[in-house]
Amino acid sequence: MMRKKLSLLLAVLFVFSLLLSACASGTNQGGQDQGDKSANQTAQKVEIRLSTWAGAEEAKQLQAILDDLNKKSTTYTIVQDSNPAEYDTRIITQLSGASGPDLFWVSAQRAAQFAAQGAMLDITDRLAKSDHPAAKTDDYFENSLKPFTNNGKIYGLPWLEQPVMLYVNKDLFDQANVSYPDGSWTWDTFLDAAKKLTMDVNGKHPGESGFDAKNIKQWGFTLNGWPPVQMFIWQNGGEVIAEDFSESPIDSPKAMEAFKFYADLVNSPYVPSQQLIRDRGFDAMYKNQQVAMFMGGAADSLDWDVTFKSQAFEVPAGPTGIHATFGDILGMGINAKTKNPDAAFQALLDLTDAIHHWKIMPPRKSLADVQLLQKLHPEKAHSLDAIVKSMNYATSYRYFTNYPDWDNIFWTQLMDPIVNAKGDPTKLVPKVKPQLDAVLQRAK
Amino acid sequence: MSAYMATFLRWLATPVVLLAISLFLYWLLRKIGWQKKAAVGFALISPWLVGFLIFTAFPLFYSLYLSFTEYSIFGTPRFVGLQNYIFLFTEDLEFWPSVRITLLYAALTLPIGVVGALLVAMLLNNRIKGIGIFRTIYYLPAILPEVAVALLWRWIFNSESGIMNYLLSPILNFFGLGKPDWFGDPHYVIFAFVIMSVWGIFGTNTVIFLAALQGVSRSLYEAAEIDGASGFAKFIHVTIPQISPVILLQVVMGMIGALQIFTVAMFVRPTSAAGKFMNQLVYERGFTQLHMGEASAIAWVLFIIILILTLLVFRSSPAWVYYEAEVKR
Repeated sequence: MMRKKLSLLLAVLFVFSLLLSACASGTNQGGQDQGDKSANQTAQKVEIRLSTWAGAEEAKQLQAILDDLNKKSTTYTIVQDSNPAEYDTRIITQLSGASGPDLFWVSAQRAAQFAAQGAMLDITDRLAKSDHPAAKTDDYFENSLKPFTNNGKIYGLPWLEQPVMLYVNKDLFDQANVSYPDGSWTWDTFLDAAKKLTMDVNGKHPGESGFDAKNIKQWGFTLNGWPPVQMFIWQNGGEVIAEDFSESPIDSPKAMEAFKFYADLVNSPYVPSQQLIRDRGFDAMYKNQQVAMFMGGAADSLDWDVTFKSQAFEVPAGPTGIHATFGDILGMGINAKTKNPDAAFQALLDLTDAIHHWKIMPPRKSLADVQLLQKLHPEKAHSLDAIVKSMNYATSYRYFTNYPDWDNIFWTQLMDPIVNAKGDPTKLVPKVKPQLDAVLQRAK
Repeated sequence: MSAYMATFLRWLATPVVLLAISLFLYWLLRKIGWQKKAAVGFALISPWLVGFLIFTAFPLFYSLYLSFTEYSIFGTPRFVGLQNYIFLFTEDLEFWPSVRITLLYAALTLPIGVVGALLVAMLLNNRIKGIGIFRTIYYLPAILPEVAVALLWRWIFNSESGIMNYLLSPILNFFGLGKPDWFGDPHYVIFAFVIMSVWGIFGTNTVIFLAALQGVSRSLYEAAEIDGASGFAKFIHVTIPQISPVILLQVVMGMIGALQIFTVAMFVRPTSAAGKFMNQLVYERGFTQLHMGEASAIAWVLFIIILILTLLVFRSSPAWVYYEAEVKR
């Protein structure tokens, strides 16, 4: 009996060793392939796999760019793998294993995480040595490079920074006899316009006698957690994460004032109820002319792909005239495990530069030229002046390794109650601040 | 092309390696004196055993190990002892609300799902014309893809133009109530999920109950009728004891399924103020926040909850489950 058990154990061990050796030989095979590949690198073009979240139409446009780059390049051939479904989960799994792409699109938040975790290739020295136009780091708007920078090292390049803009339905403005926004708009002017643009079924505005708040047919503005409250806090001179990442000063008087402004706006008659926004669609209400002003990214098509006169303007400044807007940053990085770092780097520069000439808004100062952009994007010509101006003060969040933890608490414990449950910021902020501070402490 | 060729060759190599393992195992077992029958048996199940060990057993125990580590998926896990569990139980803001909503959801869906399905099965057990059509209709929800159903329900529950509020409007108007914001108001979220789930489980559960009902011997009902039993008495004293093993199966499977709710919740995305189901929390901690250690710890807590509840149900079963072959002492 004992002998039998021992034999069984031995048999299992044998089987496993056989399996392991099979796996190991598979790995060696790959290594051998790699050796051959680098020997032939100069002789033949290297295949660079690119992962993106592009949908069907965007992927088609991207492919045209890639075809052009591949034709010109003597070192690489970029192969596109685009799929918007569960992009983040897919890329995380691929990067953690050995099957990751060489190049990949990445959001600012993920870039900060990946750079800190060593999943992206450090390209600082390569950038310094290159004379490629996309490699000149001082040409980038300072904020746009921040998410890709960790401990002074650069791990990727931004290909787009889209500031939040104020989209305005000019037809509704004209009907209400409200003048269009200009650089002098502050919170008060904005609220005044929102009030005049809000109308019940009888054509009455809030504040007028007989105004029927239950039967509003047109609202001045809309918000549902977007645009981010951070933007208003910056406009009021406050912050949500201290520069040294020591605390979340959301209880400062300036920040509290902005939270209150946001909460009051959510609950005002100028903004549809959250239930209505969910039912009718957030930007759909702007497109259907039920909402007169909408804050969206500079790349949105709300100023040209609509049936009415629409234009993007700068978002209003804070009460003391501080201009600030949120800049959403998207970029590209190289997998730290790539087998072809040189070719991948060359492809990164070429493709980044090509996208800078494709999408709004390129995060480079040399390309922030209204006339040049108007040639590239004639459909948005009327909005470009405001977009370029907004780039000068667009700011992204202060990302850090555990930013998603911080963001999760900020949204679920503070903003969601304010937006969806009429939460009072003065009561919520003191409760949430210690939790946010704890995340920052843990990150240290 | 070469990269794809390597993958293709590896794919081809897999069955060859599995076959080699199988043959080797057979040879080895024969060599050490096992009977031919046993050696063939082991050799034939070896591909499954290898798959089980690599793809089920290893990840299972690895996740247990990960729950004691800090691991971002990149790099190597760092052992932190019980820290993840302590954090979850004492500091985490989302953990207890998540346990609460998951248990509440299971507690509400389970009885409605089992009792409702049994009642429907009894209706479908009648010999009336066109019963096959009714049975098919009731089974339909079980074969529809979960994601499509979730998106469909999102429309049904649309508070302004959804059919649910339209159907409820006479009652709501009578009591002077506004239209419920099913996925936006935390108070309604759980009920919306219960309604969705009950619709889904009716299909499968009803078919199983129907099969069980048809297995109850006619002679028992006849005997009861001779003794003067009413319809209700027959149901309580004949039907229920006879199908009690199936009820046990439904309770256990229903409970496990309810506690593991994930797909629908991810697609419907209700307000976060209502809390997140435990599996949702596992996914978000793992793939959004990159805390694989915490995610594994939550998964193991969920496993223990399911284990304890299942054991409780099994422990209670001798009191209410009747097996024909069993002799009660």
